[in-house]
Amino acid sequence: MNSLRISGAAILGCVLLALCVVRGQEPASSPRSVWDGVYTEEQAKRGEPVYTRECAACHGAELMGGESAPPLTGGAFLANWNGLTLGDLFDRIKKTMPQGAPGKLTRQQNADVLAFMLSRNKFPSGKTELYKQSEMLKEIRFESQKPAEKK
Amino acid sequence: MRDRISFRLQLWLLCVAVFVLCGPKASSQSPSKSGEWPSYAADLAGTRYRPLDQINASNFSELEIAWRIKTDNFGDRPEYKLEGTPLMVNNILYATAGSRRAVIALDPGTGELLWIHGEHEGKRGGAAPRQLSGRGLAYWTDGKEERILYVTPGYRLVCLNAKNGLPVSSFGKDGIVDLKLDDDQEILPNLITGEIGIQSAPVVAGNTIIVGAAFREGMTPRSMRNNKGYVRGFDVRTGKRLWIFHTIPTKGEFGYDTWEKGSAEYTGNTGVWTQVTVDEQLGLAYLPVESPTSDFYGGHRPGNNLFGETLVCVDLKTGERKWHFQLVHHALWDMDISSAPILADITVDGKPVKAVAQPSKQGFLYLFDRVTGRPVWPMPEKPVEVGNVPGETYSPTQPIPSKPPAYSRNGVSLDDLINFTPELHARAVEIASKYHLGPVFTPPTVSKLEGPLGTLTVGTASGGTNWPGGSYDPETHIAYIYACNACIEPIGLVAAPKEVSDIAYIAGTAGHEVTILRGPGENAGADSPKPKKGAKSEYVPMNVDGLPLMKPPYGTISAINLDTGEIVWQIAHGETPDFVRNSPALKGMNIPRTGQETYNIGTLVTKTLVIAGEGQVTTTSDHPRGAMLRAYDKKTGKEVGAVFMPAPQSGSPMTYVHNGKQYIVIAVSGGPSSGEYIAYALPSESE
Repeated sequence: MNSLRISGAAILGCVLLALCVVRGQEPASSPRSVWDGVYTEEQAKRGEPVYTRECAACHGAELMGGESAPPLTGGAFLANWNGLTLGDLFDRIKKTMPQGAPGKLTRQQNADVLAFMLSRNKFPSGKTELYKQSEMLKEIRFESQKPAEKK
Repeated sequence: MRDRISFRLQLWLLCVAVFVLCGPKASSQSPSKSGEWPSYAADLAGTRYRPLDQINASNFSELEIAWRIKTDNFGDRPEYKLEGTPLMVNNILYATAGSRRAVIALDPGTGELLWIHGEHEGKRGGAAPRQLSGRGLAYWTDGKEERILYVTPGYRLVCLNAKNGLPVSSFGKDGIVDLKLDDDQEILPNLITGEIGIQSAPVVAGNTIIVGAAFREGMTPRSMRNNKGYVRGFDVRTGKRLWIFHTIPTKGEFGYDTWEKGSAEYTGNTGVWTQVTVDEQLGLAYLPVESPTSDFYGGHRPGNNLFGETLVCVDLKTGERKWHFQLVHHALWDMDISSAPILADITVDGKPVKAVAQPSKQGFLYLFDRVTGRPVWPMPEKPVEVGNVPGETYSPTQPIPSKPPAYSRNGVSLDDLINFTPELHARAVEIASKYHLGPVFTPPTVSKLEGPLGTLTVGTASGGTNWPGGSYDPETHIAYIYACNACIEPIGLVAAPKEVSDIAYIAGTAGHEVTILRGPGENAGADSPKPKKGAKSEYVPMNVDGLPLMKPPYGTISAINLDTGEIVWQIAHGETPDFVRNSPALKGMNIPRTGQETYNIGTLVTKTLVIAGEGQVTTTSDHPRGAMLRAYDKKTGKEVGAVFMPAPQSGSPMTYVHNGKQYIVIAVSGGPSSGEYIAYALPSESE
């Protein structure tokens, strides 16, 4: 009986400790945004040739769009996605792109292309790569404006 | 052969795939013609005008959603670019919808689906240069039969019984005319993948159907050779070809000599991808022709290149050319004539003129006597800059309308750059300094690492006024035209490696990989050609901290009096974007509404209002994340009402009356929002 109580207390303690660690890494009160360095330069470089091969046909080599596809940089792009999450954008890409063969790219390739798009839109890079799970990407807000500096 | 067999099988499958949920309801009343919307642009004159006034300044903001229909299931994947304008005739609403480009018939009062028709085109549809739901369809009746006509992504003209959606077996072969056949050319490389298609609605006038042609984006073509975009007329009863107009003249035809060194033989494109306008009384059709192969480099097609970027008037029944006017000689800017010509019976200096007005990407409204082709006001040839791209030939002059004045920006000078603050302006100047600047018709440059990277243009590829075109009030003789005033297009040229293209120069930037901009899904596999690598150059964003490089207004609606050639009013259309309104760099500044830098906004004119939605979403204190459908007093341009839309306008609005109630229907989509038609009406009096 005692051993069970001890085990239960130990498990509870471990869980609480784990929660503290997690909260210490990413405070729940301050979710991340595209301004928090959510991809790496290396990943964006990896995404560029994929973009060139699979996306530039319609969206343009400079991401400025064309007659058959919207721009992926500048005002119209920022307006479309401002206030949503990278998960929303990732899902849109995964579900419908490339237009001629949706779902052709792997999740890793989609994430790399997304990293390239973030890079071209001058969102800062960081030390960790962009997630490739849309559920996790939904925790990263797409904000067109850089938030005020945190104190 | 296997492809042909499977194609026949598909035709049979298509017949099976057509299903009828229920027949159209007997109409409870016959609305007056003014309460219908029987053609893509309201009428064959391209006006987008209906003299309805139940929805007016006093109640526009009270509009609510009467019904809505998502288009996700009209294809094997959702569509995020729904550009259609429905028709409403005889109390049925018809539209194209979804990634299948299905045709749907709806109850105009409830949105109930009455029937649907879809084509399963397999590889032919998948290889089409212009996919998705397209812009719409055409309606025809002789008073007894009613027919719906549309063109599939795979370029087949389909004729349906408007009552039940079944193909009309006496038309073509089992209701279909294969537009890749009988085109005075062999569509290469084959019927399945041969590049030609169209996304606009066919037009039907009298018993003649007119269909044009479209191709892939032409900025970086793989070859100077391509299929040609001829225009054809077909008999609406049988599908038999009545005539063909060679937009690139064949040997012996007028204009052949404007293609020097035999370039008419191999140059392609030069189609009519947008809406055709018809004067049934005069028996004349007006064809707005696009650019020839290779948008920005014409070294392989020396000469003026008729009928590239030319407005051509042909006989409705024979296709015989009556007159033409080339808006741009030797096209170098992708100034396709991008929208429906507008027929306008105007009075100039006390004399009646049957005119045709052509909005354009380059912000000029070109007006002609539509009988003779003579400009209404002088359109002198004026000298323009001649460039120095190797192998290129240039027209030393271009026609410039003396009236009306340009209604949108069509050149770039330092004065056009963002000037909210001196610091922002200075940074914009720094970006612009890497490019060649100049007024309209400043030619492209070879892109060089040391500069210029290219020519910085507006009013070129995107426009200005693109496919939605303008609208026109035949009572007041005023045209209302939306234009993007800040859609920048840097045009630089790079030498194309021989294994990439046989064209000497294609669009690109020095130091960047040479990229062939292919059609959607085409040649996108693992074995596709590898891009060339060269010395890297810095990517130059066309914005300053996310703020547009150009100063506002970013998008405008202009009211232009066609009797006088004067701009009556001009307003910024669209809420100031969030990234401008909330910009820390602009904190504390009072910035008037800027409009939005989108190019695909169509307008609707009613008895008292000009109506247009926004092309971008915003979030303001007045509304949650979404876009607004706005109404302006058409006399003054003053906004008199607005109603919330969950997504941006992506197709031009239309209106009709059903059972005594006025509706406005609009296609919305974009970003995370898949396509949806939304019908707005006033609340019932009992509510």
